[in-house]
Amino acid sequence: MSEYHFKVPLKDEDIKRLRIGDMVYFSGEAWTSRSRVQKAVFDEGWKLPFPIEERNLLIHTGPVIKEENGEMKIISFAPTTSVRFEKWGPRSVREWHLKAIVGKATMGEKTRLAMKEHVCIHASPIGLTTNLFLDKLTIKNVYWKKEFGSIESAWIISLEDYGPLIVDIDCYGNNYFDEIEGVIQNNKKAAYQYLNIPDDFQYTRLS
Amino acid sequence: MITLETVSKAIYQTIKKCTCCIPDDLSAAFDDAIQRENSELGKMALQKTQANFRFAKQNDYLACSDTGWPLFYYAIGDKVQLEGGLSGLEEISRKMVAQATKDGFMRATVKHPITGSDPGNNIGSNVPNFTYKHVPGESIQVTFVSKGGGSECFGGTRYQVIAFADGVHGIEKFIIDSYIEGARGGKICPPSIIGIGIGGTADISAKLAKQAAALRLVNSKHPEPEIAELEDRLYQAINMLGIGGGLGGRVSVLGVNIEYAYLHIGGIAVSMCASCVATRRATSIIHADNVVEEKASPTWFNGR
Repeated sequence: MSEYHFKVPLKDEDIKRLRIGDMVYFSGEAWTSRSRVQKAVFDEGWKLPFPIEERNLLIHTGPVIKEENGEMKIISFAPTTSVRFEKWGPRSVREWHLKAIVGKATMGEKTRLAMKEHVCIHASPIGLTTNLFLDKLTIKNVYWKKEFGSIESAWIISLEDYGPLIVDIDCYGNNYFDEIEGVIQNNKKAAYQYLNIPDDFQYTRLS
Repeated sequence: MITLETVSKAIYQTIKKCTCCIPDDLSAAFDDAIQRENSELGKMALQKTQANFRFAKQNDYLACSDTGWPLFYYAIGDKVQLEGGLSGLEEISRKMVAQATKDGFMRATVKHPITGSDPGNNIGSNVPNFTYKHVPGESIQVTFVSKGGGSECFGGTRYQVIAFADGVHGIEKFIIDSYIEGARGGKICPPSIIGIGIGGTADISAKLAKQAAALRLVNSKHPEPEIAELEDRLYQAINMLGIGGGLGGRVSVLGVNIEYAYLHIGGIAVSMCASCVATRRATSIIHADNVVEEKASPTWFNGR
């Protein structure tokens, strides 16, 4: 397990150093999206209204923003479950030229393969860290707020050594959660045994 | 008579306390979990989460960004007198949810299921949602639950009808399999509190499961020994799975709470509802003399 500190725009050589289980911190400008932005772009043909070439870090999140005296401030920030964006995962990696997605937990097979092909990783916070990194985040801009609401807008956020995040999909096709899943499936047998559930137990088919 | 001003303020304060302050019983369960966790990553996740909760409590910040479904559980005294009449309680509650959202104590999270339009204030058809109990007395007890979306969308509520032939093993296997499925990749934000509803119709078992997860204290036990034993067995078994906080670890579940209803001889309805690592609830009693008192537990199920 190693620790890395990278700056956006992220380079292929940065990403290639990362393996699942490594800790990574990011600085520079990233942008956010949840389902609505991805649906607008990939299903409905909307064009992103800001340049992304230099911003190849996407964060799956809907931050809580408070406006005071005309100034927007992030008051709560938690990357959200990424697998719900799986439908658009491969296209977002390919067409948005992403080098990293920060979200929660894992994504599906197609995104894992797209990340392998296009040198991209997925990383997640460790624990629930809603309030712990607020001083590392500054809002730069927001797009589609009127159209989609605050949570579903695309926020441009400047990061200052945001992390630690754990790499859970690397660019070599490894998924941290596949390994955990293997352990859990093995432990499941012990849990069944503890509960005296017979090995050959099968539900009575009611349909 | 309870005035509109008192009830409005009490509801607002209960919402704010709920979304900013993790309940004391959960906080104590966390301290205990940190002691017991032996995986390095699992311990780190719990410690960071606990630090996050402390910051939120001290600074009036959200315990979690996702303030989830706004759910009200009211225990209404049968002699309550509320200014303007009890029928106004829901309207006041809705206004306070909108105000709390505007003030940053809730995230504007709910939207129209088909059009996707965002009201921006967490108010819409059937949201917030209300559940009532009638109790003796002159007071109104308000419990606000901020039910996280991850644990609701991915982990629960899960439901299955089990044949009598499959009995307790069938129930236990359903719970173990459902928890693994829901917790895969940390989707439901484990270590969670699990509520299990056994018996009744589909909606009764689902309702019992949600209330057992969201309203009972994390360390509470069912008073009937057979049910308490089943709670303990499932607690031990789930903590053998190695799920931890999602990244692997010893502490996979913080509590298992079961409630049951008598059932039809046709089959056993079972529901599981997970309440996430940031289980949030807050309870206040609004007395007839307009004094408002905070309570540690809603004691929704006859004292538990």
